[in-house]
Amino acid sequence: MIIGLQIIAILFSLSMIYFAVLSYKRHELNGLEISSWLIMWGLVIVVVIFPELLRAFASTFLVTRVFDLMVVGGFILVIGLVSSAYMRTKRNEKKLEELVRKIALKK
Amino acid sequence: MKISIIIPLHNEKNHIINVLKSVSKHKLPIVVVDDGSTDGSFKEISRLRINNLTILSHKINLGKGAAMKTGADFAFRDDADAVIFMDADGQHDVKNINSFIEKISIGGCDVIFGSRNLSYGVPLVRYLGNKIGSIIMAIFFRIYVSDAICGFRAITKNGYKKIRWESNGYGVEIEMVARVGKNHIHHCEVPVETIYNDNVKGVTILDAFGILLQVIKWRLTL
Repeated sequence: MIIGLQIIAILFSLSMIYFAVLSYKRHELNGLEISSWLIMWGLVIVVVIFPELLRAFASTFLVTRVFDLMVVGGFILVIGLVSSAYMRTKRNEKKLEELVRKIALKK
Repeated sequence: MKISIIIPLHNEKNHIINVLKSVSKHKLPIVVVDDGSTDGSFKEISRLRINNLTILSHKINLGKGAAMKTGADFAFRDDADAVIFMDADGQHDVKNINSFIEKISIGGCDVIFGSRNLSYGVPLVRYLGNKIGSIIMAIFFRIYVSDAICGFRAITKNGYKKIRWESNGYGVEIEMVARVGKNHIHHCEVPVETIYNDNVKGVTILDAFGILLQVIKWRLTL
């Protein structure tokens, strides 16, 4: 893999670890959540440093280059996370609206 | 027949007092829904001594559609037979309230849309946006309302049951039209006059794009 990209990916992962730890210290994440994030970003760093680890996966999915597999995997992950965040936001918006309207109508 | 006036309010400290004073001359119950104003509008209207004025308060800003829904829920729970929606910025001429009352009293229409004379004194962008909106609604929902985004409108209890909207923001007017078209609800229009203030707020181009996307969603889901 291109060394420049690897450096960027590692720096990004480290900054995400920093933000996760920061959120944990602010009690915004619980123990299970911070562990999950640390494991996930740790795995990302390992895969970025040793991309050959994914070679077997790449050939299984008929993807020629490991880099392509990582890009596709990243896209799938991002789409999944965005969809899930969207659904949660919608649910929370609905709950908030109901609560605010309920308080207003108590009159 | 009990008819209530509903005024969703958000940061209209400079206009709301005059609007309420003018509307109160009609001796109809007035429901103002303060939608999380931060400019002191709520304090201003709380000081007013007007008979039949009810002030409801959203602790945070939810949007015009949510404020209208809260007001309508309150009014119909309070045994209103119909409600008239008006904007809080003084754009709507209170003397047109009589036209709505007349239409409601005659019967036959569950939703009455106010229709502004768009060929006079309306900025070109607004005029075009409005007309395009009406045409899109006609194509998508087979209903033509000449001024689909005018906030001055009335609805009966029966009509409200059928078209209670989901939109919290500025999409509410268009959603009402969509639901009226989809449910084949009897509707009519009354001409209304508009007083354009110096700082007219309302739908921005970005809002308009958002509403267009919602129209497509309603076409698929309603």
